[in-house]
Formats: sequence, C-alpha cells, structure tokens
Amino acid sequence: MSKFIFGRYLPLNSVVHRLDPRAKLMLSFCYIILVFLANNPWSYLILIGLTLGSILASKISLGFFLRGIRPLLWLIVFTVVLQLLFSPVGGHTYFHWAFINISQFGLINAGYIFIRFLLIIMMSTLLTLSTQPLDIATGLASLMKPLRWLHVPVDTLAMMLSIALRFVPTLMDEATKIMNAQRARGVDFGEGGLFKQAKALIPLMVPLFMSAFNRAEDLSTAMEARGYQDSEHRSQYRILTWQKRDTITWILFLIGFAAILACRRW
Amino acid sequence: MSELKTIARTQLPKLDTLSVVTMGLLMALQLVISRFSIGNNFIKFSFTFLIVALLAKWFGPWWGMMTAAVVDVVGTLMTGGPYFVGFTLSAILGSLIFALFLYRQKATWVRVALAAIVIAVVVNALLNTLWVTIMYQTPFWSLLPIRVLKQLIVTPIQIVLLYWLLNSRVIQQIQERLNR
Repeated sequence: MSKFIFGRYLPLNSVVHRLDPRAKLMLSFCYIILVFLANNPWSYLILIGLTLGSILASKISLGFFLRGIRPLLWLIVFTVVLQLLFSPVGGHTYFHWAFINISQFGLINAGYIFIRFLLIIMMSTLLTLSTQPLDIATGLASLMKPLRWLHVPVDTLAMMLSIALRFVPTLMDEATKIMNAQRARGVDFGEGGLFKQAKALIPLMVPLFMSAFNRAEDLSTAMEARGYQDSEHRSQYRILTWQKRDTITWILFLIGFAAILACRRW
Repeated sequence: MSELKTIARTQLPKLDTLSVVTMGLLMALQLVISRFSIGNNFIKFSFTFLIVALLAKWFGPWWGMMTAAVVDVVGTLMTGGPYFVGFTLSAILGSLIFALFLYRQKATWVRVALAAIVIAVVVNALLNTLWVTIMYQTPFWSLLPIRVLKQLIVTPIQIVLLYWLLNSRVIQQIQERLNR
C-alpha cells in the first residue's frame, strides 16, 4: 500500500529528474495558464512540441501518461461530445436535427478541447513522475517564503508538511493492517449499499485516529527532547541549488511561451 | 455573524509542539484517507471532509484554511492530477465554513448539518463546477445537474458521519489531551 501514493514517482536518471523542483513547480503552474491562452492551430502545435519534448527528455514511457488520463476519462468524453453536439452554428454544417447540430466549428472546437485535456494532464503527470514528494515539499516551502510578508507562518507550515509526508507511508501501512484485522473479524469493506459501505469504515477510522494521535504525542515529546522550540529560529539542512540546467530549461520554455503569445489570435 | 467577528479578531495562536505535530499527522491522515474512496462508478466519495472539519474545529479558521490549502496543493501534485488554483480556493473556503460553524462550538445536529449543506451547495455544487468549466470548457449548465444530484445523495451521509465522529468518545478524548 505504501507504494500506492509514492509509487508514482519513477526513479530514472534523466535531465528532467535532476532539475530543481522549484523550477519544475513554477513551470507547471505557468504551463497551465499558457494552455488557456492558446487559441489557434499554431499555438497548439507549439504547446504539443513543448510537451512532447519534455516527455522525451524525461525518458518516461508514454504508457504512464496514458494511465494518468484514465481517471478523467468520463469528463473528457462528456465535454467533447457536448461540444460536438451543441456548439453554435458556424462554418459548414454536416448534420442538423432539432437542437443537435454538428458543424465544422463544433468539430474544430471539440478537437481543441480534447488536446487541451491531454496536454494539461500529461504535463502534471510529468511533474509527479519525475519529482520525489519530499522534493516537491521542499520546493513548495521555498516558493512560499515570500508569503512571510503577509504574516503566513511559512516555516511552521513547512514543518507540518514534512511531518505529514513522512507519516503518509506509515499511516498507510497502519490502515491496511487495521483493515485486515477487522476483515479477519468479519467486516466487509466495499460491499453493500453506499451507507453500509460508509458505516463499515468506522472500525477503520477510529483506531486510525487514535494511533495517529498517539504517534503525535510521542513525536512531539521526542522533538522537544531534542531541543525543538519553534520553526522560525533554526537553520536548514536540505538546501536546494539552482543550476545552469534550470536556467536553460526556463529559457527554452520562455521562448515557447513568447512564440505562443506571438501567434495567438487576439 | 458574531462568529465572523470573533474569528477576524482572533490572532494566529502560537502553537505548542504537540499541536504542530498533530496537525502534521492529520494532514498525513487526510492524504491517506483520500485514497480510500467508497461507492461505485457513478458516485464516489472520500472521507477527507472529516479531517478538514476536525482541523477546523480544533485549530480554528486560520490554521484550518492554511492546512487545507497546503494539503490540496500537495495532494493534487503527488497524485499527478492537474493542478488548478480554483480547487485550492474551494478547499480554503470549505475549511472556513467548517470553522465558522464548529470552532469552539458544540457539534450539534443543526451546526453540523448547516455546515455540510452550505459547503455542498456553495463549494461542491457551484464553485467546483465553475472550476471544471473554466479548466476544460465543459458546459456549466449541463454539468451542474449531475453534480447537484451527487451532492443530494452524498450530503446526508456526510452529515451523519460528521456528527457521529465529532461526538465520538475517541475524538473527545483526543481533544482533552490536546487542551491539557
């Protein structure tokens, strides 16, 4: 079970994997904004180029990305079909019946939306597949630093986050153990109606809460015994370094971004 | 809305180590529980709302909103889902609503039900549909009925579970140990 949540990270030694997590996080955020801005064939072509280039550079096989699409499949089909059937009249109309209307305009639009779906999902899958959760956390903590000016307790939040990430696999193992223990006594998980299923999870949740809180007490005592007072007045052991390849990647992407803005139809 | 005023006046309380670690572990629990969803292909729902409500009830709106934001960002990034700011806003708002109804209050049926219903209508039905619309250009009005229907089925179950959890002996024991 512990593989479940962290197993999505693929330990390959590619350029993308070695990039600074901050660089990757900011790139993925900017990328989503950019996908919204693309609105004609050329801009989509550049976007596809950027995405495929990044995927090739990561050396991860395409199958993993297709697996990332699966959970959103119904939404993709739903959206594409609706766009196809109910878009306003424009261009050549192929089929018309009552309010259903398949036109050239609708076809092109549906195609764009399909590509947009794929691109957004692929790029965010790439980020998770190529970055370790702990690196994501360190990167996020570092990117949140400016929020200190708004009196956000960034260091405390970073501490909580690293505790959370450390204990996800432990609690996951624990949950599986408790589930098996309750199964051995006759609880059926995931069977019966919706309410019955929900009720079956109670014998899982209560021990899980208790065990999590017992761990919290032990850990906090141990932390204080090692001289922990607060999250602000201390130094850092994990340090991120921005390297030449991060700058080069950003320059490549910025060229792509500029090209998309240049050929965008306003 | 006297609650709103007290909350606005409440400064971020300085936390002791136990509270920091407890919040961290609750965040971990939220990430774990998000994996255990129940239901069939048409309706799936997870129990993360329980943890959000607990964090809001025990630690108040500020810490609730901040942890909700962090868990949302990290959770989506770690599972490989596409990230969108709107959903983080939804998570923050949901936590705020829980805190407004439950922070330093007894979890009565009325409070629990009102909190769950407000979140179901404002956050899950309206806002999240809006985000999906913005993100993927899914037509809003055709998606809304499906999502409202889902909320109609799920919300009663949520209310019962929430009331039961917040008033359970285990949770009250933990709360006493936290306040000690």
